[in-house]
Amino acid sequence: MEKIKNIALVKKIGFNKLVLVFVLILMYFVFALFSPTFISYDRILSALSYSYFLGFLALGVTFVIATGGIDFSIGPVMFASALISGYLLTRSGWPLVLCLVISVLVGLIFGAINGYLVAYWDVAPFITSMGLMQIAKGAGSVFTHTQSVSWPQSSEANGWYRNLVRYSNGSISIPVGLITLLVVAFICAIILNKTKIGRYILCLGSNKEAVRLSGVNVRKWQMLAYVISGTLVGIAAIFFVGAYTTVQPGLGDQYNNEAIAAVVMGGTSMSGGVASIGGTIIGVMIISLLQEGILALGFTKDFQLIITGLIVLTAVYLDVFSNQKKN
Amino acid sequence: MNDVILDMRQIDKSFPGVHALDHVDFNVRRGEVHALMGENGAGKSTLMKVLTGIYKKDSGTIIFEGKEREFTTPKEAQDAGVIIVHQELNMINHLTVAQNIFIGREPKKGLFIDDEKMNKEAAKLFERLNIDINPKERMMNLTVGKQQMCEIAKAVSHDAKVIVFDEPTAALTDGEIRELFAIIRDLRSKGMGIVYISHRMNEIEEISDRVTVMRDGAYVGTVNTVDTNKDEIIHMMVGRVIYEDPKAESNVPKDAPVVLKVENLNAGRMVKDVSFELRKGEILGFSGLMGAGRTETARAIFGADPKDSGYIYINGRKVDIKSPEDAVANGIGYLSEDRRRYGIVVDKTVAENVTMATLENFVSGSFIDEEAERKEAEKYIEQLDIRTPSPHQKVANLSGGNQQKVVIAKWLARNCEILIFDEPTRGIDVGAKNEIYQLMNELVAQGKSIIMISSEITEILRMSDRIMVMCEGSITGELDICEATQESIMHAATLRE
Amino acid sequence: MNKIKNNIIVKKLGAQRTIVTLVIITLVIVFSLASPAFRRYSTFVSIADYTYNIALMAIGVTFVLISGGVDLSIGTGIICYAIAGGYLVKYQNMPVIVGMLVTLLFGLAIGLLNGILVAVMKIPPFLATLCTMMITRGLGTISASGFGIPWPPASAEGGWFRSIFKLEIGGTKYPVGIILIVISAIIMTIVLNKTKVGRYIIAIGSNKEATRLSGVDVTKYHIIAYVICGFFAGLAGIAYAATFASINPGTGAGLELDAIGGAIIGGISTTGGQGTILGALLGVLVMSVLKSGLPYVGFQPNWQQIITGIILIGAVLIDIINNKKKPINK
Repeated sequence: MEKIKNIALVKKIGFNKLVLVFVLILMYFVFALFSPTFISYDRILSALSYSYFLGFLALGVTFVIATGGIDFSIGPVMFASALISGYLLTRSGWPLVLCLVISVLVGLIFGAINGYLVAYWDVAPFITSMGLMQIAKGAGSVFTHTQSVSWPQSSEANGWYRNLVRYSNGSISIPVGLITLLVVAFICAIILNKTKIGRYILCLGSNKEAVRLSGVNVRKWQMLAYVISGTLVGIAAIFFVGAYTTVQPGLGDQYNNEAIAAVVMGGTSMSGGVASIGGTIIGVMIISLLQEGILALGFTKDFQLIITGLIVLTAVYLDVFSNQKKN
Repeated sequence: MNDVILDMRQIDKSFPGVHALDHVDFNVRRGEVHALMGENGAGKSTLMKVLTGIYKKDSGTIIFEGKEREFTTPKEAQDAGVIIVHQELNMINHLTVAQNIFIGREPKKGLFIDDEKMNKEAAKLFERLNIDINPKERMMNLTVGKQQMCEIAKAVSHDAKVIVFDEPTAALTDGEIRELFAIIRDLRSKGMGIVYISHRMNEIEEISDRVTVMRDGAYVGTVNTVDTNKDEIIHMMVGRVIYEDPKAESNVPKDAPVVLKVENLNAGRMVKDVSFELRKGEILGFSGLMGAGRTETARAIFGADPKDSGYIYINGRKVDIKSPEDAVANGIGYLSEDRRRYGIVVDKTVAENVTMATLENFVSGSFIDEEAERKEAEKYIEQLDIRTPSPHQKVANLSGGNQQKVVIAKWLARNCEILIFDEPTRGIDVGAKNEIYQLMNELVAQGKSIIMISSEITEILRMSDRIMVMCEGSITGELDICEATQESIMHAATLRE
Repeated sequence: MNKIKNNIIVKKLGAQRTIVTLVIITLVIVFSLASPAFRRYSTFVSIADYTYNIALMAIGVTFVLISGGVDLSIGTGIICYAIAGGYLVKYQNMPVIVGMLVTLLFGLAIGLLNGILVAVMKIPPFLATLCTMMITRGLGTISASGFGIPWPPASAEGGWFRSIFKLEIGGTKYPVGIILIVISAIIMTIVLNKTKVGRYIIAIGSNKEATRLSGVDVTKYHIIAYVICGFFAGLAGIAYAATFASINPGTGAGLELDAIGGAIIGGISTTGGQGTILGALLGVLVMSVLKSGLPYVGFQPNWQQIITGIILIGAVLIDIINNKKKPINK
């Protein structure tokens, strides 16, 4: 065991992450064993489609968790974004590009409000985000008069946005969304590890008061983490409708849990200061595969809820446990 | 009354990297006050924590009331009658005084807690101890001194046989200290064994029967208070360590310009109308007892806490400091007394901590220039002799002294002209202490100015060019180094309005 | 202002609770003036119906909040428990009393689980209970096989349990559930203030370390706080079953916010150590009067969620501002 841990490549990537990759591959084979259709390209693409929006949500909330915070509003905010911009597109006839921008803006605004309350008013993050979750659900449903919104299909006018998720040209399907997700993840990793923004976010997650007393405007950087998160949530909304087109008001909270599960599984510490973008992406892949696999095996989505819950519990417990050992 | 109630023999305890207790002997007799002395980090508190079951000893024996005992929890020790009155008060703020005293053993009437009986018992207890506190008052509404009285009352109500007082007078007013001593004498006359941990020589002389001195985790010796004097105890405490004489005179020229001027500063309850000047190249010592408002003053100047009124001038120019950001922009650096909480980010590397206040200098384009950052860190590692395997070592893995140097490096990187050092040598071993002192002298020689807050009077006398003494939030004395003595500082530190 | 503060009623109730009471009265007056429909007796009964489960949850969650934690699992929990009990009654032909007991026990069990996760395994309360929230939601849906579960209607055999909350005599419905709430509130107020359980839960919320050092088994009492919360979630599940025709799986998320938000409005500090049952119930009343009243003055029901969110954040902000004003006691 120790020997494996000391191999250079293992050290570089991190032992825990390799274990996760291994779990991912193992899961795939188990699902394929029980459900042969799993090997098909379409199934893989379908699992991937789920990973895009979830990936953006998880990337966003990674920044928030890195500050030592939490955000329970990301799923409903994503839905509010998709509902509001979708309503403007399909009922009010606004141009598509503008609606995509609005989608991102809605996410950004929610993120900014959340960050402002947490950073400048010291409200506990789980409470602000709980409140905002309700507000986002309500706003989505008030805006659309409690009706679901269907974004255009690929074949319809304005349907080109779906190519952002998957480019289909009769015979070939290219998972464009995967490329986008990986590029954005790469950018996030750079922001987190190589820029001042990331440095301050990680440091304040570790010891906010010490950073403040170094003359750093910690409130600003803390709020910025939520704004980044909100922006990514807005982008997630585009990829959600790109994959599934239809959004219903009043929902979305299950995706919080899935995104948070992916993040903690990936090695980002709930107590802040330590974050891994690569880990988050692997976590997202595991959750996406899990949901596809559970459906393929003929179970309902509810099993996934329970499994995700157990995953979060285990991951957080391991995090708490390793912190206790350190101290 | 010479029988020993508690006898600790050859107690040994190690933490990773530190030999905290090195075969220490200590005993207490019935009806005596036994003072336990030693500098910060000498191992007094550790010894008491071993006694009350907070730490587990590695070896040695504890004999209590003639039997060998090993308490594994404070509760066990408490039940046996060994009780510690902590330095940091452990009060449950939302409960009343009586509820606090009886927590864990509330009298019951049927299924319910008998609060009425509890209040009566508490009132009786207070009467016996001559303490004037309303048992029904919520703990959060009491002063620190009153809270401490409650702790003592709680200990007494536990039928204590040995009570350990850990720096009990640190936050008390003169009147409260007198009350406390009256209680302690009363307890002594009732045959209790009392351990009294304190730094204050005159208190030791006044209250104690015997004195045991510890140094660097080791037992030095025990003497009868009447047979000894201050010099002997100090000698025992300081021992072979080179005990440098106080600075003879100020190194600052009389006409040195004033770099920082504070005028009528008020902030909260702990900073009242504070005014002083700091000159270029000066080390201005801030002395006083714990809770005198020195840290609060420093934090208010630095913008870490809001101030209510007052003016701050830097180089004669009035500045408006509302946050640490403003303070740093004005060339002030603050080295906190609580390094781990306010000074460093322990999970991050030396390099990251060193550049914490100057990160914008290491950003090229959008990215952090890690090469430049490493070079900067290496520069200070060499200059301050920070012992670390590399700039990429986590600060958590450094010793206290080296962590402190990292914080100093952070402010030097910023080229701060005014440095506030709040207890710069707290929790640092003797060798590293001397290095910090040397460093401070070099800094002022370079023309920087330092405010040094310290609770160790010897440190104040050794380092300062001038001394401000605070008491209860006000400045109660300003002494030039050539006229300052331990006594004159102590006198000012206990002056009440 | 000081004169008002010294008034006997205000002193007894506490400033915040007095304000909350005034807010309730004002809301009722405004809604009644604006809408004749709101003034009807049936509206009053339906507000009561709607409030029972939330009030019961709030009584329980008060203990958890006072201990310095939070329980997010109660909302989806009560649905899950009521489904489990209802399933036995509907499909296994068990007597209603068994269904009620199972509902209650299920609540207790999840409360115990929450307590262990928080107190023993040291998982932050909001995360631990978030997970049990997901688990109860999944379990609820699975055990209902995705369909709504009806408990017996008032007229049918076994429908007697509905009269615990709504008694029908000669065509008139009486909201007798209020009696249950009042009794529960009185008992739990006594538990909170007069027993070891309450005393130690307050102490844990105020200063856990000091409580531990005083020799109190803090783990045990910390768990008990969550068990009490689970028990009342079970009761709330019964109340829900008794006041709604059928229980739909997958619902319930958000109900916990009404209870927690109400408790916070009623003056329970989110930092622990402080709060009263009466305050929590008054807070819940504000929420439910506001939410049921708004549709009568022209707001769509979907504004309710927005209102909940705003009230929740607003209440916490007030708590924070209040704490900032107090002198810091170092």
